[in-house]
Amino acid sequence: MTALRAAALAKQVLDSVDSAVPGAPQVINLLKENGKKVFFVTNNSTKTRKMYVDKLSVLGFNAKEDEVFGTAYCSAMYLKTVCKLEGKVYLIGSNAMREEMEAVGLQQTGVGPDHVLGKQTDWANVPLDPEVKAVVVGFDEHFSYMKLNRAMQYLTQPGCLFVGTNRDTRLPLEGGKAVPGTGCLLQAVETAAQRQAQTVGKPNHFMFDCVASQFGVDPDRCLMVGDRLDTDIMLGSNCGLKTLLTLTGVSTVADAEAHQKSGCAERQGMVPDYYVESIAELLPALQG
Amino acid sequence: MAGAFKGCQKIRGPQIRNLLDAKDFILLDCDGVIWHGEKAITGAAKVVNSLIRHGKNVVFVTNNCTRPRENYVHKFCRLGFTDVILEQIFSSSYCSALYLRDVVKIRGQVFVMGCDGLRRELDEAGIPCVEEADDPDATIYDCALAPDVKAVLVGHDDKMTFLKLAKASCYLRDPDCLFLATDNDPWHPLSSGRILPGSGSLIAALEVSSGRKATVIGKPSRFMFECISSQFSGVDPAQCLMIGDRLETDMLFGSNCGLDTMLTLTGVSQIEKAQEYRNSELTTNHSLVPDYVVDTIADFLPAFEELGEPSN
Repeated sequence: MTALRAAALAKQVLDSVDSAVPGAPQVINLLKENGKKVFFVTNNSTKTRKMYVDKLSVLGFNAKEDEVFGTAYCSAMYLKTVCKLEGKVYLIGSNAMREEMEAVGLQQTGVGPDHVLGKQTDWANVPLDPEVKAVVVGFDEHFSYMKLNRAMQYLTQPGCLFVGTNRDTRLPLEGGKAVPGTGCLLQAVETAAQRQAQTVGKPNHFMFDCVASQFGVDPDRCLMVGDRLDTDIMLGSNCGLKTLLTLTGVSTVADAEAHQKSGCAERQGMVPDYYVESIAELLPALQG
Repeated sequence: MAGAFKGCQKIRGPQIRNLLDAKDFILLDCDGVIWHGEKAITGAAKVVNSLIRHGKNVVFVTNNCTRPRENYVHKFCRLGFTDVILEQIFSSSYCSALYLRDVVKIRGQVFVMGCDGLRRELDEAGIPCVEEADDPDATIYDCALAPDVKAVLVGHDDKMTFLKLAKASCYLRDPDCLFLATDNDPWHPLSSGRILPGSGSLIAALEVSSGRKATVIGKPSRFMFECISSQFSGVDPAQCLMIGDRLETDMLFGSNCGLDTMLTLTGVSQIEKAQEYRNSELTTNHSLVPDYVVDTIADFLPAFEELGEPSN
């Protein structure tokens, strides 16, 4: 078996309501015991790597901080290593994003509640911090018109970078409710500013680049495991990895077959090489 | 208007007079055409008053949904447009209320993301709206959702919060709940040359979260013209001239309704953009090209003076 990147587990474990997919912890732990390198790759931007490791431990996974790649960490790395940003960030995002940025030496402004005050002319003339050289958008429950306005004002300045963590459209909740995803907030800012952001998360290849640069990973010896065709499997395809779809999450076999039969070249990237009902199906192979 | 596609014809005095002779209805956008914020554009009040005195039906068609029509009447008066009455004003908020009352004949509540001006128009039309009081600590995880919400109406909302976006997304999960937008403008200019995020940015967020497309009431959709036509008991598009400053809303609106269009250069769009659309290989872009162009609405003044009428 090749080195496994347990993205399916990342999605199920890290984002869902505090329960592991049955058998998942055993699979991950056995893989590691068998000498495989395992990485967790998630588009969620609301936790630092440390927070993820804590959650993984509670659920029975043996995980180390440097094996976890969330978009809070990867956005900070992207700004630092690819953009080589010198200057501050106007951040629409969580405290976790703020922490990951500060950890790589990037200062930010904007996190937390920000309500509108005064009149329209005040908002258009909102004071801008001259040191801000980038606008970054992640998941933010404090998103407001004022934040949208500030982001737009910064983005009208020449040379201001524009980065988004990911484009996920919504997070399902129980009880028939739905939480708008980062993709919604990002689209609001992109529309007001009439500019497209560069996104860091899956399916963009940057997250794989992050893993590969730190761990000397050979794409030919990698397997990408995920439950979403448009993010996880697409990332695998974009980076030349083999891909495995697990059916315990968002996408179905019918979805995959529809992409396959579409005849559209772009959609072929969303067709997995393999699929399993659940990650637990790997157990017999690991235990035998 | 028929014939080879030309567009962008710059016209002056006698040509404007000839054009006016052929038109009974003059439709005017407001921001960037007759005023900038609280300042009337030089000559605009004289032009509007002259048009009315020459027997033209003058109506104002604006996507601005932030104030009720009564406030607009006061603004017109304040800025010197003394002959303008309520019935000449068609705002996207007023037309949204008409849409809900007369087209949809809504039964049930409307969840509104918009300003007080929009709510007042809805109240006046007798449209029940969900109360907007949120507990400051409420989150989508624990808040109650109103029953019987049959439409989500989105406009310019400076009190937009994540919670409101989340609530709207929940209501939109019901395919029987309508998704309406006062307008789709991504940003609005202020008189200072600065801009502010517009309704279009909020609608974009909800289109992503719901996977649905909003029905837009304001320009460039035809509905506001249908409101005008209905109020004046039938209006012949051939008798109309639409004057605006924004190619993507005013000119497209005129084109969609079969009206002649005129771009004035005192607002959002530049002549170069109009020429770009004209030269575009995409024929859909041709609908954004104005038939006529003037530098400012004040260019109409010589047309009245030539008639020997006092231009005041």
